[in-house]
Amino acid sequence: MDNAINFGIDLGTTNSAIAKFVKGEVIIYNNPLDFGRATLPSVVGYRKDRILVGNQAKTYQEKDPKSVVGIFKRKMGTTESFKIKSINESKTPIELSAQVLKELKTFVNTGDVLDATVITVPASFDLIQSNATKDAGYQAGFKQVVLLQEPIAASLAYANMKKTNELTDGQWLVYDLGGGTFDVALVKIADGEMRIVDHEGNNFLGGADFDQLIVERLIIPKLNYEYSFSNLEKELKDENGKINGKYYGLLRRAEDAKIRLSAVNSAEIEVSGFEDEEGNDVDIEVIITRTEFNELIKSSIDETIEMIKKILTRNSLTSADLQFTLMVGGSTYIPYVRLRVEEILQLPVNCEIDPTTAIAVGAAYYAATKQKEISKVDKQKKLIPISIKTAYNKTSKEIEELFSARIKGNIEGLFYKITRQDGGFDSGLKKLTERINEDLPLVENAFNFFTFTIYDSQNNVIETDVETIGINSGFGISGQPLPEDICLEVDDYDNPGETRLALVFQRNTVLPTRRTLTFPLNKTVIKGTTDEVICVNVLQGSHESLPESNKVLGTILITGKNLARDISKGSDIEITVSLSESQDLTVSAYLNMADQEFKGTFNPKERHTPIRLLKEQVVDLSDKLESEIAIATEKEDYETASLLNKLKKEMDSISEETERLTNDDVTDKRYQLEDKKRKVAQEIDSATKHKRLQAVKELYYNVKAECTRLLEKAGNDYEWKVFNDIVNQEEAFMSTNSPTKIQEKSDELQSIISQIKWKTPGFLQGIFNWLKEEQPRMNDQVQAKSLIDAGKIAIDNQNWERLREINYGLLDLLPRGAKEQATTKIGFGI
Amino acid sequence: MNGAVTIPQKFIEILDQVFEIEKKLESINEPNSLGRNVNRLKECFEYLMSDGGLIYQNPLGEKFNETRTDLEASIAGNSAENLIITEVIKPIIRLRTNTGVTTIVRKGVVIVESKI
Repeated sequence: MDNAINFGIDLGTTNSAIAKFVKGEVIIYNNPLDFGRATLPSVVGYRKDRILVGNQAKTYQEKDPKSVVGIFKRKMGTTESFKIKSINESKTPIELSAQVLKELKTFVNTGDVLDATVITVPASFDLIQSNATKDAGYQAGFKQVVLLQEPIAASLAYANMKKTNELTDGQWLVYDLGGGTFDVALVKIADGEMRIVDHEGNNFLGGADFDQLIVERLIIPKLNYEYSFSNLEKELKDENGKINGKYYGLLRRAEDAKIRLSAVNSAEIEVSGFEDEEGNDVDIEVIITRTEFNELIKSSIDETIEMIKKILTRNSLTSADLQFTLMVGGSTYIPYVRLRVEEILQLPVNCEIDPTTAIAVGAAYYAATKQKEISKVDKQKKLIPISIKTAYNKTSKEIEELFSARIKGNIEGLFYKITRQDGGFDSGLKKLTERINEDLPLVENAFNFFTFTIYDSQNNVIETDVETIGINSGFGISGQPLPEDICLEVDDYDNPGETRLALVFQRNTVLPTRRTLTFPLNKTVIKGTTDEVICVNVLQGSHESLPESNKVLGTILITGKNLARDISKGSDIEITVSLSESQDLTVSAYLNMADQEFKGTFNPKERHTPIRLLKEQVVDLSDKLESEIAIATEKEDYETASLLNKLKKEMDSISEETERLTNDDVTDKRYQLEDKKRKVAQEIDSATKHKRLQAVKELYYNVKAECTRLLEKAGNDYEWKVFNDIVNQEEAFMSTNSPTKIQEKSDELQSIISQIKWKTPGFLQGIFNWLKEEQPRMNDQVQAKSLIDAGKIAIDNQNWERLREINYGLLDLLPRGAKEQATTKIGFGI
Repeated sequence: MNGAVTIPQKFIEILDQVFEIEKKLESINEPNSLGRNVNRLKECFEYLMSDGGLIYQNPLGEKFNETRTDLEASIAGNSAENLIITEVIKPIIRLRTNTGVTTIVRKGVVIVESKI
C-alpha cells in the first residue's frame, strides 16, 4: 500500500495552492469557492464572529487593514505579530499561515486524511523561518511536514512534465514573477543533487503594479486631456475622493486589458459612468497597444534582470554557463517579460509549465518520494459524539432564510462553516456554540443547497449526521403546478394542410413561468391585405393530442391590415408566452421584419374565442369527420364508422349554428359552440386514436425493416449507432401509446434511410433522372443545363460524390412547391 | 459539483458583452427595440443545452458582506461596513439546469461602497 506523503502545498506570499500525486500524475485541487481557479489568496481576515481566508478576506484587506492581514509570509520567523482589532487579539505569522493551510485542506474533496504534507518555502528562508513554516503546518493539523524550496519545486514540475526524472547535471535560473512579489534563483544539479546556489528578490514587484501603471500613466493623462478635471488622480485614488469607486473599476479593467494584451496587439479600456467638473459625461475608449504596455513595464522588468545579473556576477557565471530560465508566476504570461529576459540574458526562456501551479505540482512530485513517518494510531479519525438538531423553512420567498441549530455534546474547540453549493456563499469559519443562528442568502427561483460542516481546531472534518440544507426559493409557497400542458398550434410539415401542437410548458411546470419560441414564417403577408393570416393560438391540453381537441386559451390573429410593412416568408416570429401565478396568460408575437409586437392578455375565466377562427375550425373539423368516416368505412372498420356517424349529426348542428353567428355576436353562443366543437373533436380523437396508433406503429415497423435492410447493405458505424439507440428505446416509446412519439421515432429512422440512400448510386441516378424531367420548371435554365450536363459526365465516370452535389444543386433550382403552400394555415410550423 | 463543468471562455465573454449592451441600453432611449435582440441573445444562452443553460445576474444595488463568495469586490470609500454594490463591471454567470439548480461558473466583478 502506498505510504508516501503525496500532498504538496505552495504556501505563497500572495497565493497558495494544494496538489496531490496520484498514480504517476499530479492533480491540483480547485478552490471550491472560486470557480475555475486552483489558488487561494494568502490573506486572513477576522470579522466579527468569523474567520475569513482567501478572496473574501482579500476584499477587505485594503479598507480594514486592522482586521485583515496579507503578505504575512514575509514576517515568518520574526517576533512580530499582527494586532487584530475586531477580536482584540494578536496573531503571529505562524497562526495566520496555519489558517491558510487549514483552508487549503478544505479544497481536498477526495476523503483523504491529511496528516502529512510537503510545504514549499522561498529560497531566501533561513532555518528560523523554515521552522516557523513547519510550526504553521503542525498547527494546521499535519503530523508530518517536509519543506521544499520553491525554485526546486518548480524545477521538479518541469522535469516531471518532460518525463525526465533526472535532469542532467547543469544549472538554470528559476524566474518567479507573481502578482505582488518577484524571486529569482540559480538552481544547480551536481552528482544527482539539486540545490539552490544563489537567489535575489523584491517583495514589492508584481503584476498588480503593472495594472496601476496602466491607470496612472495611460488612462488618467488621457482623461485629463479630453475632459476637465483639476485633480483627477486625487479624486480617484484618495479614499475620500469623489470618484474613488471608479479607481477600483479602472484597475479591474486595466488588469483585463493586460491579460488580453498577452494574446492580441491592442486592447481597449472603456471609461464611462461619471462626469467631469463641467458636468460633461465621461465616455471614452482608451486604446492600449502592446508596445505602449511594454514601454510601461520596461523599467520593472529591467530591474528583475539586474538582479539576475548580480547573481551571475557573484557566481562568476555568464549566460553561456546556464541551460535556460524557467518561468514561474502568473506575470510571466506577459510576452514582453519572456522576450526581454531572453533578449538581455541571451538565454532561452522556458515557459512549458503552468506558471500559477508549478510550485504546488513540484511539491506533490516531491511528496510522492517521501514516506510517511506517522504511526497508524494517529491516522484513526477522531469520533466526537455530538447531536445536532436543525430547523429552517424548506421553501421561502425571502432573499434570505434563517437557519437554526441546537448542538448537544462536547463542543469545546470545534468550529463550523456553512457554504452554498453553487459557490456563492461561505459563512466563514465560526466557533461552534450550543445554539446557532445563521441567515442564509438565497438565489431567487432556484433550489438552494447548503452544506453545514463541523471542524476540529485543525480543520479536520468532524463527521455528523446533518443532511444537506435544502431551501426552495421563489416558488413552492404560492406557485402552483400547471394542471395540463400549454401548447402552441403550428403547421405540421409532415402532414401538409394539417396542424399539430408544439409544447410550450409541460404539465406540472410551476407558475409563474415564461418562455419565448422563435419560428421562421412560412408565408409572406402583404401590408394592407386580409387574405393571409398569421395565427398565434395558445391551447391547453396534452401536446400529444390533436389541436382541435384542446381548449383555446388565447389567440392573436395578424393580417396585412395590422402590419406596418410587408413581411416575408423566412423572417422570424418570436412568440413569448407568460403565465402568472394565477394563470393569467400573456402572449406576445413579435415580427422581426416589421419590428412590430402584438400582445394579448387572456384571463382563463374570460374566454377568448374569435368567431372567424371558430368558423374555420368548425369547417375543418367537419371535413375531418367526413374523411375519417370514409376511411373507416373503406377499411370495413364498422365499429369506428358507427361511432363517427353518431357524431356526424351533432357536428352538422354545430356547423349550422356557427354559420349563423355574425362576426360581432356578443352572446355566449360562441363559447357554447366552442365547447361543443371541442367535445366532438375529443371524441373523434378517441375513436380514431386506435387507428392512428395502429397506423404509426405499422409505419414504424416498416421503416425499421427498410432501415435495417439498407444499413446491412451500406450503413456506416455512426448510422448503426443512431439506429441502435432508437431501437433500444423501442419498448419505452411504444408503451406510451402516443402516436406523436412513435411518429417522431419513425422520422428519425427515415432520416437514416435518406442518409444511406443519398450515398447509393442507384438512388442518386434515380433522383437525377427525375430532376432532368423537372428541368423546364427550374428557376435558372442556364445553370440547370450546365448541371445536367455535368451530371451525365459524373454518371459516365461513376463519380457518385459529384453526382450527389449536382443533385443538391438541381434541387435548389426547383421553385418552392405547391406542397409548402398547403402547409401555411398557421403561418409557422415544425 | 463546483469545478465539474467546463464552460467555454468565449461563452462567458459573449455574455459579458450582452450584459454591457443591456446596461448601456438602460441609459438611453433608443427607438429600434434593441432590448428585444438582447433578450433573444439571453434566451439563446438560457436554453443553450438540452438540460440547461447560462444566465447572468446583475447584483447592482444588492447588499455586500464578507459571506458573499459570488463576487469579486473592490471596496471604494473609507468604510467597510454596510456595503452596497454600486457598480457592476462583470455580472455573476450561472449554469442553470432544468431542475432549478444553479452553479456559479464565473464570479461577478463589482465595486461596493458604504451606504450613507
